[in-house]
Amino acid sequence: MNDTDRASKITAIIEAYPADRRFALAAMQDMQHEFNYIPEEGLAALADYLGCTKAHLYSMATFYKALSLTPKGEHIIKICNGTACHLRGSVNLATELKRILDIEPGQTSADGEFSVEYVNCLGSCALAPVMVVDGVYHNKLKVDQISGIVDSYRTDDSKGVIGDD
Amino acid sequence: MINGTDRILVCCGTSCIANGALDVADAIEKELEARNLTGDVRVDVVRTGCSGECEQGPVVRFMPRDLMYYRVAARDAKAIVDSLDGAPVKKLLHRRDGQFFEHMDDNPFYALQHKVVLKDVGIIDPLSLDDYIARGGYEGLKRALAMTPDEIISEVEKSGLRGKGGAGFPTGRKWRSAAGYDEWPKYIVCNGDEGDPGAFMDGSTMEGCPHAVIEGMIIGALAIGAEEGVLYIRDEYALARDHIQHAIDDAYEAGILGDSIMGTPHKLHLSIVRGGGAFVCGESTALMASIAGKVGEPRAKYIRSVQRGLFDKPTVLNNVETLASIPTILRFGGDEYAKLGTEKSKGTKVFAMVGKVKHTGLVEVPMGTTLRTLIYDIGGGIMNDRPFKAIQTGGPSGGCIPESLLDLPVDFDTLTEYGAMMGSGGMIVMDDRSCMVEVARYYVDFLCEESCGKCTPCREGLRQMRAILTDICEGRGRAGDIELLERICHTMQDVSLCALGRTAPNPVLTTIKFFRDEYEAHIDRKECPAGVCPDLTRFTIDAEACTGCGMCSRVCPANAISGEVKAAHVIDPDKCIACGSCRDACRFDAVETMRRMPA
Amino acid sequence: MSDTLTITIDGRPCACEPGEYLYDVAERNGIHIPALCRSDAFEDHRACCRVCIVEVEERGRRKVVTSCVYPVERECTVYTNSEKIVEERAVTLALLAKRAPDSETIVSMAQEAGELDGFDRLITLDGEKCILCGLCVQACDSLGTGAISTVNRGVDKKVSTPYDKPSADCIGCLSCANVCPTGAIEYTQDATSRTIWSRTFELAFCERCGNLMGTREAVHRAAEKAGVEEPRVCDACRKKELADEMMQTYRYV
Repeated sequence: MNDTDRASKITAIIEAYPADRRFALAAMQDMQHEFNYIPEEGLAALADYLGCTKAHLYSMATFYKALSLTPKGEHIIKICNGTACHLRGSVNLATELKRILDIEPGQTSADGEFSVEYVNCLGSCALAPVMVVDGVYHNKLKVDQISGIVDSYRTDDSKGVIGDD
Repeated sequence: MINGTDRILVCCGTSCIANGALDVADAIEKELEARNLTGDVRVDVVRTGCSGECEQGPVVRFMPRDLMYYRVAARDAKAIVDSLDGAPVKKLLHRRDGQFFEHMDDNPFYALQHKVVLKDVGIIDPLSLDDYIARGGYEGLKRALAMTPDEIISEVEKSGLRGKGGAGFPTGRKWRSAAGYDEWPKYIVCNGDEGDPGAFMDGSTMEGCPHAVIEGMIIGALAIGAEEGVLYIRDEYALARDHIQHAIDDAYEAGILGDSIMGTPHKLHLSIVRGGGAFVCGESTALMASIAGKVGEPRAKYIRSVQRGLFDKPTVLNNVETLASIPTILRFGGDEYAKLGTEKSKGTKVFAMVGKVKHTGLVEVPMGTTLRTLIYDIGGGIMNDRPFKAIQTGGPSGGCIPESLLDLPVDFDTLTEYGAMMGSGGMIVMDDRSCMVEVARYYVDFLCEESCGKCTPCREGLRQMRAILTDICEGRGRAGDIELLERICHTMQDVSLCALGRTAPNPVLTTIKFFRDEYEAHIDRKECPAGVCPDLTRFTIDAEACTGCGMCSRVCPANAISGEVKAAHVIDPDKCIACGSCRDACRFDAVETMRRMPA
Repeated sequence: MSDTLTITIDGRPCACEPGEYLYDVAERNGIHIPALCRSDAFEDHRACCRVCIVEVEERGRRKVVTSCVYPVERECTVYTNSEKIVEERAVTLALLAKRAPDSETIVSMAQEAGELDGFDRLITLDGEKCILCGLCVQACDSLGTGAISTVNRGVDKKVSTPYDKPSADCIGCLSCANVCPTGAIEYTQDATSRTIWSRTFELAFCERCGNLMGTREAVHRAAEKAGVEEPRVCDACRKKELADEMMQTYRYV
């Protein structure tokens, strides 16, 4: 995406809302959805539009977990760490992902392909432990299934050899 | 005989979708099409909300015949359609002790429930206003429109309804005080920011019967004189948000919302605000700050929200389940509702029962049902028939309840007397392989991130408690730690700014109270009796019990287990990360735990 | 609303108006309640340090409240140093002292409130002075500058400029540093410039007396707000100049 494209997308997102501070969160969520993070110029443009300071929006952007200030990976792996998943071993899913991708929850892989996140409860406790990749649920996961799932999201040339079936 | 009245209900709640329910529904529809059952003589496939028994999903039910199938896959579509006017598909029926059960109520999981809030969830198409109306939807609103605000409030007061988000404040009293302020505009807000890890009652209600929530809000708005309402829905609940938005749009179209509610001069406009992903926003003042476009920090509540709430105007904020109870109360009368439950906790409560229980899922029972009934009669007992250790109720604000208190009735007040709380309805069952110190650490860790960080006791108290509990779990516990934890807890309870901080000590205090011996084992003997804390636990395989099936080595993430097929396996202690996967996978109880450190 | 109430604080009868904050009533009557995040400069109080807790007995029930925002609505008995308050204030201050071990103010307050011995076990944030009272943010906002805010949440909360970078909104006025109760906001200043929040500002001096007027940005902002031309001289000198002009004028009358 070039800068002009990005700027016009930001403008479109912002101007979809009335210039009222109560829409700050919604506009930032839209940006998050569009860019996978909130670009600094987007935050500045929104502050201008709403007539508030950048500090006000920055405070919100760092407070709400749905918002992020750094770009996330192409594929987002969410490990549910709700209580049910925790009790059924969600930590082991994270350990296995660290082994495969070399990143901790909250980080993005060096190639920008995957982000791993802990999330608080995805509401599928009955199927614990749960991992969601790009919105698709993987339930009652066993550790040995993970590398296969991760590989299925990799672009072809970077496909690993482990669990490649 | 297929005569056009048959409906096939496919549960499409979040969990069933995760299990492939949408494919099942599509496959059944395709099969019906192939058999010309989509024309005048037709069978409708209805994609419903959560039917409750999530673990056995996807769940498919025939109506009106009430035939219930569990764990259905798309490939079963042909057999299912075959069975429409024939013998049931046996392998998909509920089976217990070798017997097959056809009807929903044959299954004890459902038979012992009493559905008020969830009465239409799992039965209607949540995207169909007609479905809701056909089941008596908006009848409550019609009655309310013929009443004065005072009469509506009296009806709610008579019902004894209390806030089901956990606080248990009488709903009628809240409405009456908001109605009493002569300041405009007023707002009605629905708290759909269900954030307890391990709870999904409100999400399922919004997904499965969005109109009930909306009807409840309209009635509330009439009672207090609000003309604008907001539903604050948790970021993670995409499906719930879609369904609520769809229902709002339909309600506008049908003249139920907007400038003239059902042709009367009453107005109400509703909109959705998508939560930002912050547990603390479940706290009412933080939620309202969030709607106003601010950081979700609570404020001191000496001046209540009913007087100065959203945008500093009188505001009623009710939780999803509370609002979804309102239509029934108005339709059948408060007295009728008050017949259910206990003296001080009327009606029903929805629980999300999860963890190490056989039948996990969503259940609704009259207030006052005992924990034992919930776990053993409805939930079918503990997974793999292991010993029960504790049930955690109320999420990070609640506590852990031991075996000795399982006969307590669950209501707003009883559990609180024991330092736990019913909370919003999350229930997590734990067996002997759950470490109670680790559970306390888990909740404190959760709250360290989820506290807003505004006030000292909550922010700093949690930071210190996390450090102490982590030390205990990792073998660095010291004499005096328990007392120090208690001291910090007591200050947090009294001095914290909001309910999050004031209840944050509950998981710690209840585990200390009921499982002190486990703390002492960790601190004094550097031993984790449950075999969970990796720094204190070593795993070995009992060569006698091991059958050499290889299950353990397959699940071991560290490749630490080796052995020939059908010969006893061995764990390499240098490679083992003590995650316990092998123990959970072993069907022969051959994996043993022992102390790692010298005491 | 104007009926005066009489409440009892630590055994002393105190008159007050309904709705008045308990802290204010106590102070007016010479009863000191320790507080950190409260400043007379602001009407709203954040009530976040929780040091100003007191016990209130009302209609037979005792509860712990934060006096800085607790409105007195009816007769009550207040204890600012009950056993419970002493203990809980000591724990709260100890928690703050462990958070901000480099703040002498906080550490000595904590020592005064109780011994810190029982809290050796607690972890400290090395080098920290900030107690997150939020007065700096409040000051910055109230001036309409809005250059700093709280960032993150939970145990990771802190105060900073957006992206921890020099802020274009900051005018280097020092309001934040001046209102800070623990001296946590650092700045440096030499003959011509001042550096705060990683940004360096050129200083403006009075063309007449040479006294420091503030940073160029602050002088500019103040003039902009007042709708006047940017001054070249300080307030005192401007008054003197005015007086001189008057003298000149009247000399010929």
